[in-house]
Amino acid sequence: MNFASPFAIALYAIVGLSLLGLPVGHAMIGGSILYLFVSGQDMGIAAEQLLNGMYTSYLLLAIPLFVLAAEFMNTGSIMDKLLRFCNAIVGRFRGGLAQVNVVQSVIFASMSGSALADAAGSGKLMQTLMTKDGKYPPAFAAALTAASSIIGPIMPPSIPLVLYALVSNTSVGYLFLGGVVPALLLGAVQMALIGFVARKRNFPVEPKVALADMPRVTWEALPALLMPIILLGCLYSGITTPTEAAAVAAAYALLVSIVLYRNVTARDVYGALRNSARITVSIGMLIAGALVFNYVITAENIPRTLSTALAAYQMSPLTFLLVVNVLLLVLGCFLEGTTIILVILPVLLPTATTLGIDPVHFGVMAVLNIMLGLVTPPYGLLLFMMSKIAEVPLRDLVREVVPFLWVMVGALAAVTLFPDLVLFLPRLMGYKG
Amino acid sequence: MHRLIEWIRQRAENLVALFLGVMFLAFIAQIIFRYVFNWPVGWSSELTVICWLYMVLLGSGLWLRESEEIRFDLVTDRLGPHAKRWVAVVLGLVVVVLFGLSLVPTVKYIAFMKVESSSYLKIRMDVLYSVYGVFVLAVIVRYAWSVWRALRGEVATEADIAEKGYGL
Repeated sequence: MNFASPFAIALYAIVGLSLLGLPVGHAMIGGSILYLFVSGQDMGIAAEQLLNGMYTSYLLLAIPLFVLAAEFMNTGSIMDKLLRFCNAIVGRFRGGLAQVNVVQSVIFASMSGSALADAAGSGKLMQTLMTKDGKYPPAFAAALTAASSIIGPIMPPSIPLVLYALVSNTSVGYLFLGGVVPALLLGAVQMALIGFVARKRNFPVEPKVALADMPRVTWEALPALLMPIILLGCLYSGITTPTEAAAVAAAYALLVSIVLYRNVTARDVYGALRNSARITVSIGMLIAGALVFNYVITAENIPRTLSTALAAYQMSPLTFLLVVNVLLLVLGCFLEGTTIILVILPVLLPTATTLGIDPVHFGVMAVLNIMLGLVTPPYGLLLFMMSKIAEVPLRDLVREVVPFLWVMVGALAAVTLFPDLVLFLPRLMGYKG
Repeated sequence: MHRLIEWIRQRAENLVALFLGVMFLAFIAQIIFRYVFNWPVGWSSELTVICWLYMVLLGSGLWLRESEEIRFDLVTDRLGPHAKRWVAVVLGLVVVVLFGLSLVPTVKYIAFMKVESSSYLKIRMDVLYSVYGVFVLAVIVRYAWSVWRALRGEVATEADIAEKGYGL
């Protein structure tokens, strides 16, 4: 590689500008403009790539709508009812509230596509419940919420999987289906760990909910429990496109909050629109930057070059996947997930395809890996967020999150080694891969 | 000056929330038209894509603070106030130069697009795409302003984590 080539100069600029704190999307646009300038090309190409890319990526509209659906769900008092329902099921076990936290995350995950939305939605409530009367150490509660929030973007719907579908030309529907089993696996290993730790640290048990109360508790949580069924039903029956399914989910969430829980005002709706817009704009700007920078990557033929270079090593598919996992875990400590999906994965994907790795398996595995980066120090956004919400020092939080990290890396290894964990459901629904 | 900036941000916020609301309603209309009236419509998908484009570019250019965008603040947050000012000056100048370089070619590209119109709503593409010009201008003005402020000794305040941009 030539260290003074236009491509290298663009890379230096992007890394440098990002390190100085420029938003990553802006940095990618700036670096690409520099590339076009140095290589003597028309700098209007940056505008062309960004505008045409944004204008034709209809699939991406699912992102604001999924965010909006989760926002609407958080606006009503649905979360309360959902927690009561989870408590009725798993609260009776040792470490009951900790188990509730995981089950709640799995269910909420099927309405929201973002780990940070999940943590923001239930984080405060869970923290208060778990630390009341000194039931659980605050750092443990916060670490658990951070870890369980990761299930959000693996379980459909999922914003990262929508982004991956965009860069890999894979079906969103099959990717979503592929995420179901790994998400449940994550929940299972977390619950197993809690079961083990709860006995050792003697965590409390919640009072049993009488069997007679179960129908009422379930009935009240039903509108929330129906959401994933409606969403997935729309998707897989072919009634709507994935993007439209997101709109239906948002409409349903709004309707449920207004009609059933009757505590939503116009001001709440505006607030939900504003919060969703804030998240959408920050993700959208990163996508815009990646669209421009992907022109540079394609013009320089980077994916092909890498694929040829790696072919010389005669790697087995498994070795390649392990190398990718290590690479992504390291990158995930420093880079934001969206950037990795939009910039790094397209570079790796041609090699994966050449080696005969299934793109759906590769995508779900990569996204699971990247999500672990959200709770890996030093740059774990979920850790920062929970440290702030729970008012727990980051150092204590990191210490408590490490055991969770280990079992989740175990789950990642299983997903890497056994593609069927991902591909079983999509194949059942007709995926040929 | 600060009041003017706040006013612009407020109006941009209203606009961006409106775009999202319109996008949401257009999708619902699209589904209803197709299933209830058996009448597939094309204008709605065009409208939603326009909303998306405008939301992101106007939102990022005129509304979001730098701290609300997805960015890597691990290094800059640890600097002292003096070093922070220097970083703001250097970063601001580089951004103004780079985006400034692309300004004329960008305007040329947008003007060139006047030959096309959108498929359903028949909006001329140069009009539609001009929002990117607004974005580039906004970036240049904002970073020039931040250089000016840093040189006068003002330091940007720390952002609350709740306001920080986050993605996944």
